[in-house]
Amino acid sequence: MNETDELTFRYRYRFLLMIISTIIIAIVLVSISISMYYKSGAAQLDLSRPGYKSVRSQVTNDETGSFSATGNIDQSVINEFKDLYYSQAKKIKEANAFSGDPLDPVSLWETVE
Amino acid sequence: MALCLSLSVLFAFLPIIATFAENETISNQQVLQIRNNCNSVENTLNQLHSSDALLRVNMGQMYESTLTKMMDRFNGRAESSGFVIADLSEISSKYGLALDNFRSDYKIYEEQLSLAISIDCSKQPTVFYDAVALARIERKQVYADVLKLNDHINQYQLALNQFGEFYQSNQKGNITE
Repeated sequence: MNETDELTFRYRYRFLLMIISTIIIAIVLVSISISMYYKSGAAQLDLSRPGYKSVRSQVTNDETGSFSATGNIDQSVINEFKDLYYSQAKKIKEANAFSGDPLDPVSLWETVE
Repeated sequence: MALCLSLSVLFAFLPIIATFAENETISNQQVLQIRNNCNSVENTLNQLHSSDALLRVNMGQMYESTLTKMMDRFNGRAESSGFVIADLSEISSKYGLALDNFRSDYKIYEEQLSLAISIDCSKQPTVFYDAVALARIERKQVYADVLKLNDHINQYQLALNQFGEFYQSNQKGNITE
């Protein structure tokens, strides 16, 4: 195949080549974004995935009171922050997240009958 | 030389030996139990998978906002007002690191639990048992991270009290002067 033939081939199939290259680029970009989605840990936070339908409605909005990032510090500001922080700390400690041992073989399958 | 070679071979195969040793701990009765209760165990794992994901989202928000909306902002204000807050800053940076560990350990746990759920327990009960056992270890690690976060929260609370006392005593000193 000489140079003229190659040019003719490209010219003749230019639309097909464009579609194929577009598909290849799209596949590469989608693969990169999916791998980033899983590697970044975003997948673990994404409750719109299938299987999470039952718990989706139970997501609570973050109602943490906001403490202003600007301003001076005085006794009333310290007290205000203390109240805010204590109530948040209490909520977190009371939740005691991921306690218990639900994957203990005894509780998992030895008691299931 | 020969001793070094045999030791390195032994260390290379140690994880495999350990896996076999782990497998041997499953009795035939346990294999039977897994096979018999396969469906209900799969349902339980799926429920746990969902409820833990919800917990991760809700608690993650709280842990995050404690750092970004509270600790960082208070530290910033105190610093810009000219106070030395080495304790508070140190604790909040430790808290930030513990939060990173919590995120990455939860990710490892979730991947391991998903792997266990994807295994057909009626066909591969032993592999399933090992996968669940690993997920259990990873979940315990997540709980250890939660305890560490709680500990940092307590430490920050103490440092905050000390800061409040220091401020009060300073104010009194200024007034009496």
